[in-house]
Amino acid sequence: MSRFRFDFSDEASVRLDGVSLSYDRTGEVLSEIDLNLAAGSFTFLTGPSGAGKSSLLKLLYLAHAPDRGVIRLFGQTTHDLKRKQLSALRRRIGVVFQEFRLLSHLTAAENVALPLRVAGRKPASYEHEVQDLLRWVGLGERMDAPVPSLSGGEQQRVAIARALINKPDLLIADEPTGNVDAEMGQRIMRLFAELNRRAGTTILVATHDLGLVREFDAPVLRLNHGLLVRDAEFGGAEA
Amino acid sequence: MSKETPLLPSSDAREAALFFVVGALCFLAALAALVSRGTYTAAQAWSAQVEGEITVILEDTDRRAANTLAEEIEALSGVIEARVLNREELEGLLEPSFGPGGMPEGLPLPLLIAVLSDPEAIAVVGQIESLAETAGLNAEVSAHSGYARDVRGALALLRLVALGVVVLLAATAIAVIAFATHAALLARRDIVDVLHLSGAEDKFIANLFERRFWVLALRAGSVGALLALMVTALIVFSGGAQGENAAQLLPQLSLDVPDVLILLVTPILAGLSARLAAHLTVMQSLKGTL
Repeated sequence: MSRFRFDFSDEASVRLDGVSLSYDRTGEVLSEIDLNLAAGSFTFLTGPSGAGKSSLLKLLYLAHAPDRGVIRLFGQTTHDLKRKQLSALRRRIGVVFQEFRLLSHLTAAENVALPLRVAGRKPASYEHEVQDLLRWVGLGERMDAPVPSLSGGEQQRVAIARALINKPDLLIADEPTGNVDAEMGQRIMRLFAELNRRAGTTILVATHDLGLVREFDAPVLRLNHGLLVRDAEFGGAEA
Repeated sequence: MSKETPLLPSSDAREAALFFVVGALCFLAALAALVSRGTYTAAQAWSAQVEGEITVILEDTDRRAANTLAEEIEALSGVIEARVLNREELEGLLEPSFGPGGMPEGLPLPLLIAVLSDPEAIAVVGQIESLAETAGLNAEVSAHSGYARDVRGALALLRLVALGVVVLLAATAIAVIAFATHAALLARRDIVDVLHLSGAEDKFIANLFERRFWVLALRAGSVGALLALMVTALIVFSGGAQGENAAQLLPQLSLDVPDVLILLVTPILAGLSARLAAHLTVMQSLKGTL
């Protein structure tokens, strides 16, 4: 494995330059990360548990600010942005959380519609979009089901639909197949690939499922002890 | 999906307790405002009534001389009426000291001339003193406006105290709402995070809490105001029914248009205060987050 550094390009959706993160001075979770994801790229992020995958993703979906370094998303340096601008930037990012983070008092459809509701749209204007997307992820019959009544796999798909409803420019998925069986995992990944191909969405998927990674011809980044390295085991083209 | 489920889950036990506290505070605030207004209005009416009253006390004088002086006083400019009080009226004035029918026989009583004048006619007292002196009478002239001045001072203080009580209760309600908002924000951290990461602005999130506490305070305020109305009505009607002496022991309350306005405004003020408290608390709390 070798230290990994992309060439920066103006078309990058995501650019990290010397980014480090520590939570409580016990040591850096991420160290001097340089990363460049081109617009429309599809990239895997792998690494053992505790390597810092989720932390890196949190920086990318703006849940944390780095201790050092610069993050640029869609050409905007995030630490210069006001809170309102950060919110606008977040609306361009779809996130599939490892633990789903669905609102349990809402139905599947209401969860999917959340980003649209936050954006100020009225139910009548997005009802069909939500229904179409839920059908696309195979939940056409479960639209009005309350979250607690959904299985783990169904909740995973609701979380995915919620991440996609806003037609994001960047989709970040943290272990999106971690709670579903192999067949559903492949189906979800094919769904991401289709989205990447059809809509040109930049996709970054963090996973520890190397079997799944092997099935896709995509570059693989590996995090190890807070350092980002290229995994020589996988021969996908660099983003 | 045509009807949107609130993004904050429906109320829990904490909100029931908060409802009670805000309701109680509104009840106390409305009652304090009503009692203060009632007492102020009653005292003001009394003050206005005594403002133009003057009493002339004559000692070692017969009734005829007193009557002559009263006629001269009535002829003065600014005097509406002047008359010598009869024995029954004097006994009535002394009844609080001696009790009904307790006036000892043969007790020498001074003669009193009750004068009703225009409150603006300030020179009347001096003119009465001059008339008494000219007539060679030993007269003590007492203008009630002096008492009225004291009453007005006490009223101003009462008004200030009542205002202080209402402000204190409002501040307590705001502090309670701010505390509750902070607690709710912590309890709903998961929802707030998801909303933030979905692109919600702080204002959007604050608005959710504002609406929640606006409705809660409006309802609690209405219950508090309704209770205050019931207590006021009880005092007004039971005071009237139990006679004058009982009424004097109760707070001076009424149910006029301004009183009804106080009761109507109480829940609205409570709701607005709650909304403001929730807004400021959420915006301040979210500042520390990404």
